[in-house]
Amino acid sequence: MNKVKGLFKARWMSSLIFLILLFLITGIADHDFLSYSNIISCFNTATMYTLLAVGIAFVIMTGEIDVSIGSTLCLTAAMTGLIAQQGGSILVMLPVVLATGAFIGLINGIGVAYFGVPSLIFTLGTNSVVRGLVYILTDGRTVENFGGAIASYGNKTLFAGITVYYAIAVALVAISHIVLTQTRKGKYFIAVGDNAGGARLVGISVLGTKILAYVLCGLFAGLGGFVFASKYGQVMTVAGTGYEMTAIAACVLGGISLSGGLGNMIGAAIGAVIMSSISRLLVFIGLPSTYDNTITGVMLIVIVVVDALAQHRSVEMSRRKRLLSRTAENAAEGGSKA
Amino acid sequence: MKSLLKKVFKRWETFLLVFLVLEFVVFGAANPKFLRPASIMSSIVNYISVCIISLFVTLVMITGGIDIQAPSIIGLTSIIIGVLWSDAGMNIWLAVLIATVVAALCGALSGFFIAYCGVQPMVVTLGGSFLYSGLALLISGMSATPAYKGISGFPAKTDAGQYVGFRFLGKGTICGIPMQIVIYAALILLCVWILHRTKYGERLYLIGVNQAAAEYSGINTRAVIMSTYVLSAVSAALAGTLLTANVNSAKYNLGSGYTLAIITAVVLGGTLNTGGKGSIIGTVLASLIICILRYGLPLCFGVSTQNLDLPVGIILVLVVLGREIAGQHMLAGLFKRKRKP
Amino acid sequence: MAANDRERTDAPRLQVRGIRKAFGQNVVLKGIDLSVSAGEVVALIGGNGAGKSTLMKIIMGIYTCDEGEVLIDGAPAKLGKPAAALAAGIYLVPQEPLLFPNMTVLENILMGFSENEGELKKRLAGHMEELGFHLNLQRKANTLSIAEQQLVELLRGLMRNARILILDEPTSALTFGEVEALFKVMRDLKRKGISMIYITHRLNEVFEIATHVAIMRDGLITLEGPVEKFTKEMLIAGLLPSDAQTQKQGEKAYKPVRYGELKPVMQVRGLSGYGFSDVSFDLYPGEILGIAGVVGAGRTELISTIFGRDKTLSGTVTLDGKDITGLPTKQILKEGINFVPEDRHYHGLFKIRSISSNTTSALLDGSEIGRVDMNRRRQRQITQKYVDDFRTKVVSLDDLIGSLSGGNQQKVVIARSLSTAPKVVILDEPTRGIDAAARGDVYSIIRQLKDAGVAVLMVSSDIEEVVELADRAITVFQGRINGEFSREEITQDALTSASFGIAHERKV
Repeated sequence: MNKVKGLFKARWMSSLIFLILLFLITGIADHDFLSYSNIISCFNTATMYTLLAVGIAFVIMTGEIDVSIGSTLCLTAAMTGLIAQQGGSILVMLPVVLATGAFIGLINGIGVAYFGVPSLIFTLGTNSVVRGLVYILTDGRTVENFGGAIASYGNKTLFAGITVYYAIAVALVAISHIVLTQTRKGKYFIAVGDNAGGARLVGISVLGTKILAYVLCGLFAGLGGFVFASKYGQVMTVAGTGYEMTAIAACVLGGISLSGGLGNMIGAAIGAVIMSSISRLLVFIGLPSTYDNTITGVMLIVIVVVDALAQHRSVEMSRRKRLLSRTAENAAEGGSKA
Repeated sequence: MKSLLKKVFKRWETFLLVFLVLEFVVFGAANPKFLRPASIMSSIVNYISVCIISLFVTLVMITGGIDIQAPSIIGLTSIIIGVLWSDAGMNIWLAVLIATVVAALCGALSGFFIAYCGVQPMVVTLGGSFLYSGLALLISGMSATPAYKGISGFPAKTDAGQYVGFRFLGKGTICGIPMQIVIYAALILLCVWILHRTKYGERLYLIGVNQAAAEYSGINTRAVIMSTYVLSAVSAALAGTLLTANVNSAKYNLGSGYTLAIITAVVLGGTLNTGGKGSIIGTVLASLIICILRYGLPLCFGVSTQNLDLPVGIILVLVVLGREIAGQHMLAGLFKRKRKP
Repeated sequence: MAANDRERTDAPRLQVRGIRKAFGQNVVLKGIDLSVSAGEVVALIGGNGAGKSTLMKIIMGIYTCDEGEVLIDGAPAKLGKPAAALAAGIYLVPQEPLLFPNMTVLENILMGFSENEGELKKRLAGHMEELGFHLNLQRKANTLSIAEQQLVELLRGLMRNARILILDEPTSALTFGEVEALFKVMRDLKRKGISMIYITHRLNEVFEIATHVAIMRDGLITLEGPVEKFTKEMLIAGLLPSDAQTQKQGEKAYKPVRYGELKPVMQVRGLSGYGFSDVSFDLYPGEILGIAGVVGAGRTELISTIFGRDKTLSGTVTLDGKDITGLPTKQILKEGINFVPEDRHYHGLFKIRSISSNTTSALLDGSEIGRVDMNRRRQRQITQKYVDDFRTKVVSLDDLIGSLSGGNQQKVVIARSLSTAPKVVILDEPTRGIDAAARGDVYSIIRQLKDAGVAVLMVSSDIEEVVELADRAITVFQGRINGEFSREEITQDALTSASFGIAHERKV
C-alpha cells in the first residue's frame, strides 16, 4: 500500500515542489516577494480558480470534461449581483447560486452520462446556452453597484491574513480530498474514470457517479460565481470567459490526467495557486505582465510532456523488467542444471 | 434506387442541408432583405476564420485529436505580419510567408508533443493556446504601435477605391464574389480531395479508428498525426492573413474567442470527437448553418447581436442529443447478424 | 461426477424463463430457458453471435430483457442493474477482464466493498492460499498479463461470496497449468455448492469440468442435459449448421514439404529481446512452422519483435539473405513479412471502417491502390478477390467490419496480411475466439497459403491446431526454444510436455 500511496503522493507532491520552486526563484529575483503577506495573497487570489479546479476535477477524474463552468460562474455571479441590488441577503443568494450551479451540472450530467453525448460537445453547447441566459438575465448590461454586505465579505480575513473565502475553499478541498480517497463511494469517481466497464461490473453506477460529478462541478462553479461577484463588485456579461481553460490547466498542473482515473484534489488546488500566481510572480521577477500567457503556456507544455514521458518510461521499464526476468530465471535454472 | 435514397436520408449531411435550407426559407419569409446575396456573402466573410479553420480541424479530429490552439495562431500570424511589414519594413508578401512558416512551426511543435511524446492533444493545444497568444502579445510589444491599437494602413487601396495587393485578399472581389469566399471555396475542394480522395485521407480515418491497428498496417501514424496539426496551424495562418487584410489591422488578439466556435462547427458537422468518422461537407454545412443563424436572427427576428450564443448553443445541444437518441436505434442495427455463420 | 453434484434443492438456484431480447430489429434471444442448481456447472457452448454473452449480460443486469424473467431460488428477481445482481450473489468473470489499470491489484479486488479493509485482506489472503495464486497485490493492474488479469477477476468473484459464478471463456487466455489450477478451484467451488455457468469454445473442457451442458444457436437453446448423455461428436453436430460439414474433409490430404530442395526464406539467429532470448530457427517457403508454448513463454514478444514492434537486444533476422533486424514495421512490411495479430480488436480491426478499407489498409504505402489518390476501384477489386477466395460472408464491401462475425473479421485481417504479397506470414493465435465453423475455414486458408509457397509462422496455444496444421514445430519455454519437432514427431503429448519445460533432449 505504501508504494501506491507514495506514487499518488508523488503526483501532487511534484506540483507542490514546483510551486515552492517558483516562489523561491521569484524570491531570489526579488527578496521582497518572500514576505508573508505576499505569499498569502498569492493563495487568497487563487480562491476562484481553486473552486473551479476542484469542481472540474471531479468531472475530469471520471474521464469527462466540462467547458461550461466559465459561463456558469458568470451566470451565478450575475445572479448574486442582481439579488444584492434588490437588497437580498446572503441567505437568499447562496441557495440560489448553488441551486443554479447544481441544476446546470445536472443537465450536463444527464446529457453526457444518460444520453451519451460526448462531454466536450455537450458542455460546449450548454456553455453557449448559459452564456445566452446571462445576456437575457442582465439585458446585456454589466451588473454593478451592488454594494452592501456582500462586497465587504470579499476582503474579510479569517486569521493570519487568510481570507474567509480562501479558508472555505481550502476546507472544501480538504473535504473533497478525504471523500475521494478515504470513502468507499468517493473512490468510485476514480474507478469510473479508470475503467467504466469494470466499474459497472462491480456494481458501481457509472451513470450516477458521472451525474454526481457534474452536479458537484456545477455547485463549485456556482460558489465560484458568488465569490466572483463579492470580490469584484461588478459582473460583465463576458465575465468568466476562458476560466474553464484555466481550471483545466490547473488540474493538469496538479497531476490530474485528462483521460480520467488518475490524480487528486490537493493537486488541483495547488495547480490553481500556480495558475493564479503567475502574473504576480512575473511582476517580481521584473518581466512585464505581457509574459503571462507565454510563461503559462511553456510551463503547461513542459510539465505535461515531462509527465507523459516519465509515465510512459515507467510503464515501459516495468514491462521490460518483467519480460527480462522471465528469461533470466530460465538462464539461472539452465546454469544450475549444467 | 430506393436503397440509395435511404442511404442519403440516413446521412448526417442530408439533415444539415435540410436544416440550412430551412433557415433560408424561414429567414427569407420573415424578412426579404435577408436574401440579398451581398449580405449573405458578407455574413460568411465575417465568419470566415471559423469556416476555414474548422475545415482543417476536421482533419485533426478525424485522427482522434483536437486542436484548440488554432485561434491563438490567428493573432500570432496577424501581429507577425504587422510588425514585419510596419516596423521592420519588410515586403508584405514576404511577411505573410514568414508568418505562415512560423505558424507551421507552432503546429509542428504541438503536433510533435502529441504524436511523439503521447501527451493528450487537448492539454498540449491548451498549453499551445496560452503560449502562442502569449508570443503574439510579446511580438506586439516590439512594435512602435501600442498593442491595443493594432497596426493599420496595409497596402493598398487605389484612389478609385479599388483594393489591390495585400488588401485585395480581404476586401477584393472576383466577379462580384468576395475574394475570401473564393479562397474558402477553393479550400473546401482541397480538403474534400485530401480527406476523401487521397491515401493520406484514408490514413487519417484509419488512425482515428484504431491507431494500434494502423501501426500494424505499416502506417507511420506519428508523422501523419503531427502533419494534421501543421495543416490546421497553416490554415489558421491563412485565416489570420485574410482577417488582417479584411479589417486593415494587425492585432495580437485577433481570433481570440473562436476556439469553441470552431469545435462547434466541426462536431455539429458530424465528426466524431473520438476520431474515425466525419466529413468535410458536414463541417462546411455546419459552419454555414451557424453563420446564417448569426446573420439571420438579428436581421429577421431582432435578436440582439450580443446574444447569439444562446440559439447556437440550443441548436448544438438539441442536435447532438437528437443524434445520440437516433443513433442508439441505428447502433442496434449494427449488431444485426448476416444470417447464420 | 459424484452423486451430490446433482443434489437438488426444491428450486434451482438460478433460473431464466422465456428470455427474449432484441436490439432494434435484430432479435438476439428468442426465448431462453436455462436453470442452474446448487453445485452444478453448466457449460454453455455456441458459436459467436449465438447470444451467449447477451444472455449473461441480462443475468448480470447490464442489459434488460424485453420479455421473460430471472428467478433466484425460485423467486423472481429484479436485476435491472449489476449492483442488484451482485447483491443476489451473481458474479460475472468477463472474457476480456475489466480491471482498473491505474489501480493496484488490491484496490482492484476490493473496489465496491463496504466491509472493513483489514478483514477483506485476510479473506483475500485465504482465497489466494487456497488457490495457490501468487500475485503481488501492490502491482498496478496495467502491468498484468491477460492471464493474471483473469486471476484477479476470479478473486474478485470469490471475494464477493458469489453463489452463482458466470465464467465467460476464462481459459482462452490461460496456460495449461493455469487452466488446471482454475479447474481445481472450480471443483472446490462445486463441492461447496456454488453454481456456475461456464462459457467455452473448447469441447474437451466440457467433459472435464461440467455437470450439465447447453448448446445455444441462433438465440435458442438447441440441446441441453446432463453431460453424461452426450459425446463430443454429438456436441459438434449440435453446434454446426448442417451445411458446414461437407467441405471439411477433402482438404486433409497432406502435402509434405521437401526440405532438402529448399533454401530457408527467413533465418533467425541468436535473437534476444524483451521476453525471449537466444532464439534461432529457419523458416522455409511453403511450410507451416508452428510455435507452441504456454501463454507468457515469450512467443508473442518474439514475433512482434521480428515485426518491428519492439526493440531487438541482440541477434539477427535475415529475410532472403538480407538483414532486417530491428527495422521499423513499415520497412518490415515492405521487405515481405506480414502479421496477423493475436488481439483482433486492439491490433487488427478498424471497426467503424468498411470491409474494403480494412482489407487494403496495409497497401497504403506502395502504389498498388494509387499513388496519391485512392484508387477505389482497385481497392474494391482486391477486396472482392479475397472475399471470394476466403468465402467471407459479407453483404456489401462497404459494410462496416464491426458488423461481421468474429470468424469473418479474422478472414478480413488475414486477407490484409496477404494483400502485401508477403514471403512470410506470421499468425498469432489465428483462431482465438472464433467459432468452430469459421475455424475450419481459417485452417483451409492457412493451407492455401502454404500451397502458394508462402512461409507461415504460426503461434498457437491450441496444441490441436498445431498438430493439425504444422509441418514443423518449435516449442518455446521461458523465452527460449526448447524443442523442435518434425511432422512425424508432432504429437499433443510431445508438444505439451515441451511447452511445460519437461525436457525432451533435443538439439535446438
